[in-house]
Amino acid sequence: MPVIQFREALRQAMIEEMERDETVFLMGEEVGEYNGAYKVSEGMLARFGPRRVIDTPISEAAFAGLGIGAAMCGLRPIIEFMSWSFSLVCFDQLVNNAANIRYMSGGQFKLPVVFRGGNGLAHQLGATHSHRVDALYSRVPGLVVVAPSTPYDAKGLLKTAIRCDDPVIFLESEVMLSDRGEVPEGEYTLPIGVADIKRPGRDVTLICWSKMVKLCLKAAGELETMGISAEVVDVRTLRPLDLDTLTGSVRRTHRCVVVDEDWPYCGMGAGIIERLYHAVFDDLDAPIGRVCCEDVPVPYNHHLEQAMQPSVEKVVAAVRQVCYV
Amino acid sequence: MSAVDDAVETPREATEASEELRRLRMMMLIRRFEERTYQEYTRPGQRIGGFCHLYSGQEAIAVGVAAVFQKGRDRLINGYRDHGHALALGMDPKAAMAELFGRAAGCSRGKGGSMHFFDAANGNMGGHGIVGGQIPLGIGIAFALKYLNTGGVCFTLFGDGAVNQGTHNESLNLASLLKLPCVFIVENNGVAMGTQVGRHSAARDLVHRGCGYEMPARGFDGNDLDVVIAEVRQAADRARAGEGPSYLVANTYRFRGHSMSDPLKYRTREEAERARQRDPILLYQRRLWAKGTLNAEVLEQIEKEVAELVNAAVQFADQAPHPDLSELYTDVLAERYPLVKPASPADAAGRAAGAGGA
Repeated sequence: MPVIQFREALRQAMIEEMERDETVFLMGEEVGEYNGAYKVSEGMLARFGPRRVIDTPISEAAFAGLGIGAAMCGLRPIIEFMSWSFSLVCFDQLVNNAANIRYMSGGQFKLPVVFRGGNGLAHQLGATHSHRVDALYSRVPGLVVVAPSTPYDAKGLLKTAIRCDDPVIFLESEVMLSDRGEVPEGEYTLPIGVADIKRPGRDVTLICWSKMVKLCLKAAGELETMGISAEVVDVRTLRPLDLDTLTGSVRRTHRCVVVDEDWPYCGMGAGIIERLYHAVFDDLDAPIGRVCCEDVPVPYNHHLEQAMQPSVEKVVAAVRQVCYV
Repeated sequence: MSAVDDAVETPREATEASEELRRLRMMMLIRRFEERTYQEYTRPGQRIGGFCHLYSGQEAIAVGVAAVFQKGRDRLINGYRDHGHALALGMDPKAAMAELFGRAAGCSRGKGGSMHFFDAANGNMGGHGIVGGQIPLGIGIAFALKYLNTGGVCFTLFGDGAVNQGTHNESLNLASLLKLPCVFIVENNGVAMGTQVGRHSAARDLVHRGCGYEMPARGFDGNDLDVVIAEVRQAADRARAGEGPSYLVANTYRFRGHSMSDPLKYRTREEAERARQRDPILLYQRRLWAKGTLNAEVLEQIEKEVAELVNAAVQFADQAPHPDLSELYTDVLAERYPLVKPASPADAAGRAAGAGGA
């Protein structure tokens, strides 16, 4: 099976969907002539031309809103944010327009639009460019939020997202784009709203998504050497949440740590833990553990930035705590 | 047969005269609808809730746009002062009033309210509640009309308050860069809620706010229906010819407050009195009268008709059922989850063929 980069998997998904469906187009900053700020859309302008691969000014509210308006008319826009941090300047478009129009029109419109780009901390980008928007969008009814962790998942989920008739917030990560993984040749899609057990285990469930999955798999490897068998559950879709797969795992292991990159207070992990507690309280042998970012803006300094975010050590420590070892 | 169809003689003049009377009738219907809405809102045992912004005084703009609007081809999107545009594009007053009453038979099934009238079947892409939030949607709709090669135009309307939002600058720029078939129309009623143009825009002449984008920017009397039609038609023709967007400032005056709770303390009685002399309906009635299209009998007949329509709308809304509580969770998402979209190359052709959209 071919081994390709995460960015190539994203590109393959977009190219295949644009080839099968004339209504799909890609729009964003530097997606065309520059070949993508992170080279995700490399070669796509040459392949599809400027009608379907469209460079925009630095003007998020205009092109995010353009995508929503175009979707109201039956097109299937893929809107790339260079960084999800920049979506904060067009929050209104996503939260008030993309999420609400179907509901407040009494179901008269479908909004088949995908917003995608890098989310979360990368390498020393500082506080303004390191936002984690997971919880910001996952709390909004009317939106679908997908956060893949592997090239295989990224391609299959992005293809489904493009075909989806609802607005999809698709969270990638700059630091994952060069990750490599097996991706089969030819068509496949993956379901939205289904979590995936990335590593089976018996003693504790690690719940994570996006780049925290790799971190948790590393932690699970270390835990194995300590005699602790950790199950790694990749949430994959943050909204709607596949609670059944999560609770199914916790009911088997009786212990759980949620690992995410968000801030602690009202963060994504907090929301998932609240739902878990109601479902599995009687099955738990320990309170649910949590590893997340520190409650500060993201610092520039490398050491401070490292200290700010989850690490393998923090995950191992949290697991030992819930296992009482 | 209505008064509008009766007052005709020779075929050609007949068509023109009946068009004119139809437009007058629509302006009068909107006025009657809005004034009745005011009464219903303020009546004890209030059946209309929330924020409610009335269009009285600005009717010539919505009716002027509707006169140019090509049904089935064009689209319109606007802000929250949206009742008039909805009626002008053909919404049944019953569906409009039922929406204000929050009923399931409302144009947005009771889930939108006054600020969120939607009517996809008539090309109305909605009233939108956040000032300026609809302008990027308008250029997106125009983008789709161009992408799908429909020859359609998106009329994107907003009030003078919206020109100070960032979305205004961003959308004008992108629309012009992409040469989108979008007609931006500022309904300049002189005041953004309670802040007059002179206090909210550094440039008092709002036409200046549409300059710098390499598109025509023009201001005109938004109370003169014939002027509105001529200006909007020119901009729409330009858009249809692939020459890109235009920026129109229609100067008008709203007779009522910003919303129902507005005591109008920022206005003098003299100013309001002067504005009443320039009531767009009065101006148009005088013109048609002078042309011989309108007489006392026809006017009385139209008044009677619109009164009956509005009465029937209120009666309908009052008796229409509230949405069932099960409606709370409908229309949130279009798909069912978990969502599986199997890979089947065969459905590609079907999807492309069915891509006309709402």
